[in-house]
Parts: sequence; structure tokens; C-alpha cells
Amino acid sequence: MHFDKDLDATGLACPLPIVKTKKALAAMAPGQVLRVRSTDPGTAHDMAAFAEQTGHALLSSAEEGGAFVFLLKVA
Amino acid sequence: MEAAAVDPSALVIGGGFAIAFVFGLVAAKANFCTMGALSDIVNMGHWGRMRMWLLAIAVAVAGTTALRWGAQVDLAKAVPLRPSLSWLSLVFGGLLFGVGMTLAGGCANKNLLRLGGGSVRSLVVLVFMGLAAYMTLKGLFAQWRVTWLDPVRVDLGALGWADQSLATGASRLLGLEPRTALAAVAAPVVLALLVFVFKDRRFRVNGVQVLGGLLLGLTIVAGWYVTGHLGYGESPETLENVFFATNSRTLESLSLVAPVAYSLELLMLWTDKSLRLSFGIASAAGLVAGALVHALAARTFRWEGFGSISDLRNHLLGALLMGFGGVTAMGCTVGQGLSGLSTLAIGSLLAVAAIVTGSVVTLKVLLWQAGRD
Repeated sequence: MHFDKDLDATGLACPLPIVKTKKALAAMAPGQVLRVRSTDPGTAHDMAAFAEQTGHALLSSAEEGGAFVFLLKVA
Repeated sequence: MEAAAVDPSALVIGGGFAIAFVFGLVAAKANFCTMGALSDIVNMGHWGRMRMWLLAIAVAVAGTTALRWGAQVDLAKAVPLRPSLSWLSLVFGGLLFGVGMTLAGGCANKNLLRLGGGSVRSLVVLVFMGLAAYMTLKGLFAQWRVTWLDPVRVDLGALGWADQSLATGASRLLGLEPRTALAAVAAPVVLALLVFVFKDRRFRVNGVQVLGGLLLGLTIVAGWYVTGHLGYGESPETLENVFFATNSRTLESLSLVAPVAYSLELLMLWTDKSLRLSFGIASAAGLVAGALVHALAARTFRWEGFGSISDLRNHLLGALLMGFGGVTAMGCTVGQGLSGLSTLAIGSLLAVAAIVTGSVVTLKVLLWQAGRD
């Protein structure tokens, strides 16, 4: 799927994946899509809560090749 | 008759394992994490996990107060309630612990849970934290702690306080009967927490978090009951009343930093027959076991290591700060943040406020750093 920006948060532990996601989204325009890859098992929960709270849409949440991959659409 | 046949030590050790097993299972399922709760607030304004922690505190305060009120345990003998208030140790240790847990991907509890989920990174964090904790209990850091930090204290005993509970303070200052004071202080605290926790509809309908907070709080009450009631009795050797199988030689509930240090000590000095399994050591193991069972049942078990040198550096630094801070502040987010608070100890409030402050400041620094990259 198409994405405008890619964030590699693999190898980082909580809370860094969320911190970096927040920063990356802040620099993007509404409607753009951010892909985040992480290896911290807690990120799936964090991303869902983050999307719910901030209004950004969590388009997908999947596990690919040993990493968790998320697509977020900027609100 | 049958009860006399049960060895109290075995009861305390088995109880510690079972209680922590439940804690580990529930915490892993509900994603309970104190640093995560703070991160959710700082990074996204989400209070769900904080409400779960506060609910656990409310239940722990209510249950522990009931145990004390009904004279089921002699809570005044518990370490957090000692009448000497070493405020500098509590605040300084708490701050360092808060910084440490944010650098190490979570507190002692979270790293034990992660270990159960397959994180070798957390194993390294725990070993380093345990070493620093042991050094703070008996080694080089202990010398610093005892020389510079612990002596800065307020001796509430000299003011006539039997212990440092808020209720004892209210009893002294207002001239209330101790049990009246206990109810008068605990009831508004519990009520206020419950109102705040449940006023949020999203939390109310989140069954996992509601049940999670409830069960985690109950494990703290169970811990006091097991070590303070079932584990209190006459020693067959000295014929004096003792608390069986706790490292502090008094009643305890869940606490994780010193127990990790005592676990390492027991493993390294196994042939020293004066060292034995304890409530704390069994609970550290129980927590990992609970998280492991959850990970296997939910099929979320996965090996995890360090991502980079900076990741390793942050985790090792965080582990050292947690080891030193956790022992100096006499507890971690569980030892002070649940067990300590459940006793209404003034020192636990100080320690928890310091832990939260240290963690929030570190979270803000991380956010600021991420903006510069």
C-alpha cells in the first residue's frame, strides 16, 4: 500500500516508537500516510490507543518479517 | 490441627509465587505498565492505563485498610510505615528510579513481564538492576546511601507517631481514636480515586482494564495477608513470634527491586545455608511465570534483543538507576506505587510523586530529542 513517509522504529523500546511516530506525524500534511515499523511487542497496543486518542486513522496493523507494521493516516 | 501441619515458610513462599503469578498474568493481559501509563498521558493525553493503576491503588488501600482495621495483620511493622521518614532518600531515589524506568523500557515489573514474553533484553536489564540494587543494599552504593541520604530524615516517632501512616498522623493531630482515624482517612481517598477512575466512560466499558485494576489491587492485599497473618507465628527454633520467609523479617507485599537482588544473591551464594527462598524471591519468579503463561497462551511469545548500541546504553543506564533508586526509595512502582501506598504511608506518597516526576521529565526530554533528529 502507498505511504508518504517511512519510519523505522525497529530495535527501539517503549516509549520511543510512539515518541518518534508523534514527531513524524506532526511534520506531515492531512491525508498523508505514515508507515511505522517496530519490533517492540507493546507497540500494537500503543498505536491503537494513539490513533483512538489523536484522531489519526490506523489504516492497518500487521506483522511482517518479524516486525510490526502500521499505517497511519494523518487527520 | 491440620493447620499446624503446614509449614508457614512454605505457605509464604508458595503464596508469594501464586500471588505474583496472578499479578503477572493479569498485568501481561491488561498491558499494565506504569511508565507506559505516564507515556500515554505525556505523548497522547490518554489516561486509560493510569486509571487502571489508580483503580489498583484504590482497591489495595481499601483491602489493606480493612486488614488493619480488623487487626488481621500488624501493619505498623511494615517497612513503608516505619516512623522514621527518610525523605531525601525517598525523593532522590524515586527521581532516579523514574528516570531509569523510562530509559529501560519500563520499571522492574515491566521488565519481569517482558522477560516472560521472551525479552532477553529485559533479562540483561534485570541482572544489571539486581547488581546495582545489591550494591545499594550492602555494597559501595549502600555506603553512599547510608552516609549522605538516609540520615536526612524526620523522626516522627519523637513526635509520638507510632508509624508514618496518614491515618496515624490524623489520629495524633486531631485526637481521633486510631481506628476512627483509619476509616476517616482511607474512605475519602478510596472514594475520590474511584470517582476519578470511573467518571470516564471509555474506562468503564473497558472490561479488561477494570478487571485488571481490581485484580492487581487484590494481589497487594493478599500479599499482606499471607506474610502478615498466615506467615506470622511462633518460630520452632526461638519460640518467639516471627514473620516467616521474608527478607525484611517483617510483613511484606509485592515489591520487585530488592527481591531481584536477593534472587541473584541466593543463586550466587546457594551453599550458604543462612540464605533461603523468600516471599520476595518467589514473587519475582511468579511474575515471570505468569507473563510466560500468558505469552504462550496468547501466542505472543517472541525473542527480543537489543536494537543498537544506543539502545543497549539506555537500558544499562536505566537498569543501574532503577537498582540504586529502587532500593534507596525503598520500593519501585509496585513496592511503593501499590504496596507502599496501600499502607497510606507518607513516605510512599513522596516516593511515588518523585518516580512520576522523574519519568515525566525524561519522557519530555525524549520527545524534545526526537524533534531534533
